[in-house]
This record gives sequence, structure tokens and C-alpha cells, in this order.
Amino acid sequence: MSGAPLPVPAPALVDVSGLRIGIRQGSREPLRVVDRADFQIGRGEIVGLVGESGSGKSMVCRSLIGTLPRRGAFIMSGRIEFAGHDLASIDERAWRDIRGKKIGYITQSALAGLNPVMTIEAQLREAIDQDLSANAESSAARAKGLLDVVRIRRPEVVLRQFPHQLSGGMRQRVIIASAIAPRPQLLVADEPTTGLDVTVQAEIMKLLRTIQADMGLSILLVSHDLALIDDVCEKVVVMHAGACIETAGVEQLAKPKHPYTAALQRSRIELAAPGQELVTIVGRPPAVGSWQAGCRFADRCDMARSDCRQGDHPPLRPIGQGRSSACLHWDRLP
Amino acid sequence: MSNAEDHLMVADGLGVSFGSGRNRFAAVKGVSLFLGQGEAIGIVGESGSGKSTLARVLVGLQKPDTGSVTFKGRSVFDGSQPYPGDLRRQVQMVFQDPYTSLNPRLSALGTVAEAWRVHHRCSMADAREEAFRVLESMGVARHDALKKPRQLSGGQRQRVSVARSLSAEPSVLVADEPTSAIDQSAQAQLLNLFNRLLGEGLSIILISHDLAVIRYIARRTYVMREGEFVEGGETEQVFSNPRHEYTRALIASIPGRKRHGAG
Repeated sequence: MSGAPLPVPAPALVDVSGLRIGIRQGSREPLRVVDRADFQIGRGEIVGLVGESGSGKSMVCRSLIGTLPRRGAFIMSGRIEFAGHDLASIDERAWRDIRGKKIGYITQSALAGLNPVMTIEAQLREAIDQDLSANAESSAARAKGLLDVVRIRRPEVVLRQFPHQLSGGMRQRVIIASAIAPRPQLLVADEPTTGLDVTVQAEIMKLLRTIQADMGLSILLVSHDLALIDDVCEKVVVMHAGACIETAGVEQLAKPKHPYTAALQRSRIELAAPGQELVTIVGRPPAVGSWQAGCRFADRCDMARSDCRQGDHPPLRPIGQGRSSACLHWDRLP
Repeated sequence: MSNAEDHLMVADGLGVSFGSGRNRFAAVKGVSLFLGQGEAIGIVGESGSGKSTLARVLVGLQKPDTGSVTFKGRSVFDGSQPYPGDLRRQVQMVFQDPYTSLNPRLSALGTVAEAWRVHHRCSMADAREEAFRVLESMGVARHDALKKPRQLSGGQRQRVSVARSLSAEPSVLVADEPTSAIDQSAQAQLLNLFNRLLGEGLSIILISHDLAVIRYIARRTYVMREGEFVEGGETEQVFSNPRHEYTRALIASIPGRKRHGAG
């Protein structure tokens, strides 16, 4: 893993700025679930998106693959620049050329992503046909090749099998294979190892890194597990209550510049001595729809002052060395 | 190690099989363990290793085909019912998913009060007072105690679930993957709670696939694979000097250890 702080290589592959996402609720005001997200993903970068459940990270993922409407959600404002498009304002027709083709997606549940009545080969060939860059290689040969890429042994046997015949780890490999089949530029992986065993999780993470290196694509890895992010990513984006509150290189994050990140780091079990009292974050994240004025972490923060509870949520601001923090008092952290 | 009669709980040669004929499947094979008073032991293994079946045997929900469990010197499975008489309430279980194991129509208070009433045969009014006390000692405030499971966070639900188990005033808590459905900060809260309970003399059997959690809480650790214990001993020994290949693979898979060099 590289040691130096990583400035974002210009131009970034993905540039999300001022993103606000709401959920429609009939005649009432839309419920804001993301307010606001700002981050970049450089070409060939693996970026981690971390936050508690309900912090809005899955909604941000959905905005990157254009499936917000399926959850009754929509983009209220902001931009998502991707390869010359503003994904925040394109229509469903335009999405069809991007979703699953230029931007791949891996979900949490390794079974939900596969069709139970289709063989692995049929599913992979369907994914390969999404590849817009016409390729001379037959889709049958590429299907087998893809299983090699995701390190599945005896691919000729697996190609003829159905999802239920595979283990959870194998299914997740097949999902990854079909996600990368159309040679996307970006892979969005939303908690890809939740529910998998630790040894399988380690293998999948290693695989994601290998694929990134071989294919040169960018990966957005969503997780609530900082330890996992630590191992795999170069850059981290931390979300709390619908807002991006800190971005930094993964090594820089060992010295957090937002009290929420600092609290997350201190509550890490694997870094604590056995039996030593663990630091916990008081209270719970403010519920969507009842966000207070000012910083939404203020009520859980022991550094909060009166200016933290005024106006809008503080925006993410550059604080040097390529990192940003939304804390008004970040310089008071060690 | 001390003598078997000093231990609170001793399991010897446990075996459990499911199905019959060609479909017979041995989920637990010849497993033995012991647990001391105020001690925490960890059982680590991956899905399908048999650790949940073992947990069910230890709390008396599943009768083993072979082997025995002795609790406070008395045999658990000899009578018509496991855990005869007053031993019954002394071994309690905490399940993985607090959402499905809590009654959706009862408030946190109602859940704990009901358990308290059953175990202590007192009036509901007294049970509610005790329930408030137990919940408060677990960091569930009075106004949250009146909420239904769906209105609580995952971490709060798990603490309610522990409170329900504790209302039996058990000597042993068997916790099956209690941290796997909750956020990191809630995990930390639950583990702090377990530590406090250990200090108060409770014994805990923690079953998990998460080695970081096991290492943090358990004095001794057993590594389970395909129904068998492949390794067992003092936790620090198991982690710093794993003898079995499978244990080594598990330890190498713990995320977040590379950079910080924990351990």
C-alpha cells in the first residue's frame, strides 16, 4: 500500500458536489435523506464510503447507478459528474447506456443479485452482451475468462451450474464477474461481504484489489467497517446523518480531523486491548427528518460550542494535504 | 487447568446429528469444554461449523445424541426436561438478531417486565419497576423503554434482548453472534456491558465469527470447524501462537490488522 497522502488526480472520474437527495411523501415536503454529499473518485482509485446505518451511504450509491426512483427518492440538487455527463440530471434513456455498462454495481446479498433459474453461463453472457465496445472474442470464451478473473476454480463446471449450487462466496464472485463483464469504469460495491465468513470476506477484498489493478477501474466500496476500508482503500469518505463530514487518505484517517471520525476510530474493537473500556459514541444518529440546525453531530460531540448549532450543516472544507473536514473546530483535534 | 468439579459448566463429548440414513449429518462431533464462574469463553467458527447447534445444546434447547452437560455438578439432560428445576433460569441465551427475537407488539419495558414476572412470580407492577431498573443499568433510558422494537436502534434492541435474559438473574449467558447485526459503536457499547457483567460474576459463552470480538472479551477460545474443536486454549495463546492451520487462516483474515499491526 502506498504511503504518501493522495491528492485527487485531476480530472476525477466521479465528482459529486452539493448532492441532496429527498424522498417524496405525497403533498408534504420531501424528506431529506442526504444533505449534502461532496466527494471525488479518481481514475483507478479505490474509495471507501463509511458511516453508520441510516447515514445515507446506500442512497449515495443509488444515485450513482440511477435507481433512486425505485425507492421513491430523487435528487433535489447538486451535481454528479461522470465521464462528461451530469448523472444528477440525465433521463432514464441515458441511464440505460451507463448503468451496468459504464458503472457496475455489486449488492449486499449475493443471492438477490443472481437469477435463480438461469445457469451461471447464461447470466454472464447476458452481462457480456452489455459491453458496448464490440469485441471479437466470443461471449462463451469470455464467460469462462471472467470466471478465471474472479479466481473460480473449474470454471467449465461452474458455468453449467445454478446459483443455489454455489456457496455464498462463489456467488459473490459470480456477481463480481458479471459486474465487470461490460468493462465498467466504476464499480460500486455496497457492503459486498456482509453475511459472508471472515475468510471469504478476506478473499473477496483481495479479489477487488486485484481486479482494480488488472482492469484499471475505480471502485467505491461502501462499508460500516473501518477495518475493512483500512485494508482495501486509498481514500475514505465518512458520512454522518446524510452529510459527508470528512475525506482523507486512508493513512491520514488514523489522525481524524472530525470528532465523529475520531469517535469511530476509538470504538474499534480490534485496536483495543482485551477488556479495556471501549469508547462509545453517546446517543444515536439524529433520525432523518429531525435534523437540528447546524452540525448534526453537535449533540453527540464533546467538542461542540454554540456556533456548532447555528445555520446550515457546515460544508466539507479543504484543510490541507488533500483532505477535508466539515468540523468548524477541526484544528482543535490532536 | 483446575478440576472439573470446580467448573460451573462442563460439556463432555457432545455429539449432535440431524437427518437419518444417507442424509444423516453430524453438526457437532465430540465437543468438550468447561466454563468457570465469572469467566468468558469464546467459540469461533464460520457459518456451518456447528457453533449455533452447540449453543442450543448448552442452553438446553437441543438434546445431544451423545455426551453430557453438567451444570453446578448436576447433569443437565438426565431428567424429562433439560435443566431441572431451579437450574432452568440460570442459563440464558441472547440471539443474533434482536429484531426477530423480540415481540414486535411489546415495548422494551413490557418485554423485560414479562420475563421478570415469569422468573420471579411477582406482580406486574413490581416487575415493571425492576424492568425499568435493569434497562436503565444497560443504558436504555426511561423514555426509550416505552418504545416498541421497531422504534429502537439495532444496538438498543440488542441491549433489551440482553436485559430480558438478565431478568432471570442467570449465572451463564450464552450469546450467539450478538454483535453481528449492529453498528460498530453499538458493538462497543454491548461489549462494555458484557465486561461489566463479567466483573459482577456472570459467566459468558460468546459465539462469534468475529475474531476481534472474541479476542476482546474471551479469556479462553475454542476454534470450531465442521462440528469439531480444532484448537482451544488461552485466547492470547491461540492468537499469538495458533497451532492449527485453520486458526492461522482465520487470524490472517481479520481486517484492519495490517496497517495498525494489532496483536
